Amino acid sequence: MNLMCILYSVVPTYQPAQKSQNKVRLSQVKVFDNNFKRRNMAEEYKSLHPIKYYRDCLAHDIRPDGRAFDKFRPVLLNIGSIDTTDGSAIAKVGKTTIVCGIKAELCKPKADTPNQGFVVPNLELPPLCSPKFRPGPPSDQAQVLTQLIADIIENSKCVDPKDLCIYPDKLAWCLFIDFVCLNYDGSLIDACIIALVGALHTLTLPSVDYDPSLDNKLVNLEDRKPIPIHSTLISTTFVIFDDKIILADPTVDEENYCTGIVTIVLKGDELCCVHKPGGSPITEDDLFDCIDKSKLRSPLIQNLIKTALKQK
Amino acid sequence: MEKPQLSCKLGILSRPDGSAMFCEGETTVIAGIYGPVEVKMQKVINDKASVECSYRPKSGLPGIEDRLYESLIRNICETSLMASLYPRSAILITLQEMHDSGQLISCAINAACLACLQSGIDMKFMFGAVTCFLTKEEVISLMPPISKSDVKALFVFVFDNAAGRIIASHTEGSFSEEQYKEALNLGREESKNVFIFFKKTLVGINSC
Repeated sequence: MNLMCILYSVVPTYQPAQKSQNKVRLSQVKVFDNNFKRRNMAEEYKSLHPIKYYRDCLAHDIRPDGRAFDKFRPVLLNIGSIDTTDGSAIAKVGKTTIVCGIKAELCKPKADTPNQGFVVPNLELPPLCSPKFRPGPPSDQAQVLTQLIADIIENSKCVDPKDLCIYPDKLAWCLFIDFVCLNYDGSLIDACIIALVGALHTLTLPSVDYDPSLDNKLVNLEDRKPIPIHSTLISTTFVIFDDKIILADPTVDEENYCTGIVTIVLKGDELCCVHKPGGSPITEDDLFDCIDKSKLRSPLIQNLIKTALKQK
Repeated sequence: MEKPQLSCKLGILSRPDGSAMFCEGETTVIAGIYGPVEVKMQKVINDKASVECSYRPKSGLPGIEDRLYESLIRNICETSLMASLYPRSAILITLQEMHDSGQLISCAINAACLACLQSGIDMKFMFGAVTCFLTKEEVISLMPPISKSDVKALFVFVFDNAAGRIIASHTEGSFSEEQYKEALNLGREESKNVFIFFKKTLVGINSC
């Protein structure tokens, strides 16, 4: 039922030049040997002088994984992956993998917003996804990213809390949106937002018969309806390397060695988040260049989400 | 264009190495900075000082929404301070919200900058923050609308005083690219006034 859709691939393949047949054996062994040595040296260099390694790579206008500076990694989306949730999706951006599940629970609205439900996102970064994280209470980064996702949902109004109200001041839905990172390889927010949009589109809520006089509620689990999704969000992350080079869709190493990060979230033609939390200062031109690049990427991701929904 | 009145008092606390109370309109934040001081074993960085920031709201305990502000201010200070001059030490920045009428984040960032300046810690450049509001009538202004429900979007920009580049950008609500550009230009103009205010404060012209 669930089909995977791969949008586009930017992984370059290295094709050795064809050699004439009679020379094959010796030269192939040599080529292999040289490549092996070269790769080993590159790895040693990378682990000894990581920043210099990146600098040398970028000086030749290429990134260590073979991408150009403004190229994105392939994106993969699988929706409705978990049956036990009310809506779910798995998104991959390069090797970064995010599982998103939405669980709806009934609750009482807050007294000052009697006609609104709740949306509660939570991002979990378990030690499984990266050696940076230890078991125990959520790390600072997980808390900051959780809050950023909560802000993005609230700012974009992709889910209107008013749609989640069943009976004013008495009963409303609370959507617990849980993200679990399985593999952390950079651009976490991008993957989270793609998974979020996928999961929201598969979300169905059971109908509830509520009798306010008796405070009696009856949930019909068979009769499920989707909720209105007001906009599709697309997030794009850039990093600033050495105060001047801007790399799109960074891997985790690029994120670690960079001096600044910019996240842009688009909602259709509008912007709903331009988040640059400190780091090296950039000029206005560079910032708007990033916005333009994310605008170019947005229709591709939207197509991906549409295709995934159709195939479901 | 109407803009919020800035006022400031340096060195209002005796124990921190640098402290400042900064007001932007009615929004007020107190910042204190300790540094360089001894660092916790887990947070030692061998080639530079570790910068930490803690933010306390007006009432209650700091929640998860305050973590985002903390990380924002920590990142900004880390960029601007010459942390590599103080290896294996820590710089602690504490912010206390006194009153919020809309420009809380920019006020906290400006208070942090003045506290850093007063402490005498080496900095690469000064940073100044400006908040712009986009109202429901699509008007961009520096003054917060009277009612919070009139705000369609809010922009916080942080600039450096050396080249006027953007150190940080934080937005709330949704807006078009043109509106963002307009707010950015307005913020940049206003940031020049903020830097003039900082300089006057430091030479003692504004002291109250």
